[in-house]
Amino acid sequence: MTTGQHTDTLDMMLNMGPQHPATHGVFRMVLALDGEEVVDVIPHIGYLHRGSEKLCEGESYGQVITLFDRMDYVSNINNELAFVRAAERLMDIEVPERASYVRVILAELNRIASHLLFLGTYAIDLGAITPIMYAFRDRERIQALFEATTGARMMHNYLRIGGLKEDTPADFDVRVSELLDQLRAGVDEIDRLLSLNEVFLARTKGVGIIAGPTALACGLSGPSLRGSGVAYDVRKDHPYEVYPYLAFNVPVGSTGDCWDRYYCRLLECRESISMVAQCLEQMEAGPIRAAGRRIARPPRGEVYVHSENPRGDIGVFLVSDGTDKPYRVKVRPPSFCNLVGLKLMMEGAYVGDAVSILGSLDIVLGEVDR
Amino acid sequence: MALDPQHQVPTGAVPMTWHREKGGRFFDSPEEGGISTGKGNHPAPARVRAVVPGVVLTTLDELSARARSNSLFTLTFGLACCAIEMISTHNAHHDFDRFGVVTWPSPRHADVMIVAGTVVKKMAEPIKLLYEQMPDPKWVIAMGTCATSGGPYYRSYSVVMGVDQLIPVDIYIPGCPPRPEALMDGILKLQEKIKRDAREKNG
Amino acid sequence: MSEQEPQAGADKTPAERPARHGPPVAEAPQVLDARGQASAKLLAQAAGAHALASGGGHDTPWVRVASEHLVDVAKRLRDGAFGAQMLHLIAAVDYEERIEVNYLFLSATKGHTGQVKVDVSPDAPELPSLTGLWTAAGWFERETHDLFGVVFEGNPDLSPLLLYEGFEGHPGLRSYPFNDYQEW
Repeated sequence: MTTGQHTDTLDMMLNMGPQHPATHGVFRMVLALDGEEVVDVIPHIGYLHRGSEKLCEGESYGQVITLFDRMDYVSNINNELAFVRAAERLMDIEVPERASYVRVILAELNRIASHLLFLGTYAIDLGAITPIMYAFRDRERIQALFEATTGARMMHNYLRIGGLKEDTPADFDVRVSELLDQLRAGVDEIDRLLSLNEVFLARTKGVGIIAGPTALACGLSGPSLRGSGVAYDVRKDHPYEVYPYLAFNVPVGSTGDCWDRYYCRLLECRESISMVAQCLEQMEAGPIRAAGRRIARPPRGEVYVHSENPRGDIGVFLVSDGTDKPYRVKVRPPSFCNLVGLKLMMEGAYVGDAVSILGSLDIVLGEVDR
Repeated sequence: MALDPQHQVPTGAVPMTWHREKGGRFFDSPEEGGISTGKGNHPAPARVRAVVPGVVLTTLDELSARARSNSLFTLTFGLACCAIEMISTHNAHHDFDRFGVVTWPSPRHADVMIVAGTVVKKMAEPIKLLYEQMPDPKWVIAMGTCATSGGPYYRSYSVVMGVDQLIPVDIYIPGCPPRPEALMDGILKLQEKIKRDAREKNG
Repeated sequence: MSEQEPQAGADKTPAERPARHGPPVAEAPQVLDARGQASAKLLAQAAGAHALASGGGHDTPWVRVASEHLVDVAKRLRDGAFGAQMLHLIAAVDYEERIEVNYLFLSATKGHTGQVKVDVSPDAPELPSLTGLWTAAGWFERETHDLFGVVFEGNPDLSPLLLYEGFEGHPGLRSYPFNDYQEW
């Protein structure tokens, strides 16, 4: 082409998804590329929109727990806890202390399981095949404990409004402390394998930076927000269950890049292990369910409760009309809000880093779309 | 290979979890599985016969069916919760590779589509598109109750009542989500089906 | 589509509708704890004379404002003493005679939670957009537009987010039926 001739360059539109192995589900995004540089990104969601919130209106309070299980299908206990706490607050129920401890133990173990899934899949996104094998070995161990306790590997339906379905098995303490030893070693192993690996650092350091105030305005929460240096953790700032009795740190990043978000999650695994160990020490025998009617029928009113999910701040807005079915359930899905920040992180990045940035947000589509 | 007319079984579509054989399992030959699939005391004819040492006699269909069934490339198609159990199955603890099942990200290379999760109406067109892109012969496994019938979401306004309303399904795996063992059983059933289909085609 | 019987008393407003069975319906007590009272004070300050009603339970006070004052109040919540860095949630509730849109604000550093309620009529649901104040508002508003049909003026993109192009109706509304078995 002769120089001086007027030429127009058009952005190249690149479609990723909904079936793409790096999107961890059915997420679709359209990237506008100028050469290698991402100019714009248009996320498309809704490929897993199952209408859970509407379905909640047709189920009784006990049945809604099963729908919450399936909403964020990697951290089921945390999700159950979010709904159960909302109903309990509306009905003004005090949960027995033992039930609260068991809830926290299971929720923290579930957080570790969820973060292990992230560590494994994020590594595989960036080309490291090995860590997922180690991550899933430990995940299987956690799931085996869940199976012994709740009867299911994934969809537990274990929490009840006012307590738990049933008490833990007799050897629960022993099994959990054995598991904790294995997890400590497992997390260290992944840390050694991955965290300071040169290729991994090159692909994550300085990639997908988002500043703290911007992240807050976008509604980011959880490790995705804490990677940007904002120490906001619902467990610390709005304590619930037995978290006030536990000593733990909130890992915070400094630059807000992919590596910070990754490392926050890894450090959180260690904090969770220490929290579970503290719970085991403090826990005593006792009732596991508050007295009251088995069929929940909260008084008319509304309540908003939020708690810390592995992905961030999950909120449940519950409206009751006094019947045995909720009038309206609205969830604040942390992954959905974290995705809002995707556009800001990706603009100006290279197309090769798109997968790295998306992976570092650790989205679960079941919760994004509900 | 022609069957003995006395032991001829009716052809046609059968539900996959149901077996015509009395023993519940379908084995190739008495040597292989130890259970006779014939009636009474008559053993079923062997599909692969050793003629002389070093030489076996079989049909081309039988051979290709065996090759296919023991090297299934599955499309990585995680839709929802079941995908996590599918990943578990592929990983070290359960080790799907020992059945020759390899996960593959492109539909152009895949033999089996494991529909792992809820199929919503917005996802219906992409699923059809992916299925059409897969080369023949191709099989579909509906993993979990959502892909089978809509599952817990059957009353929702946006959920398709089972993936079989969009594409033909070979194997249904119950469970919400199915355990990795259930998925492995589904794959074994699919392997049996592939072999059986080859035989029925041959008469 | 569904051929289910309509629920008893579906023609009445929720306030008049009797509980189907069981004991008489009680009202949830609206008592704010210490943290909630501190938040309530700041929330009332931000709402000023625009507040039509107020209340709240536990740590979440609420204030009801008219739709034309929403942006003002939100701006004061963000820039004032409340310090709402996060728009935490937009939750629409369909009360049949009105659609109530709840905005939940959160201050990550100060720990305040506050809720602003705005009523819109179901015939012409329109609200000003908060996308200029919080980026997070964009997707919440699109979702509410999808499910409830509320139009947010000023939102640059109200195309379907969770639903697809050509979906008829607004499934979040109470009048939208659950499905029976159907071939699709």
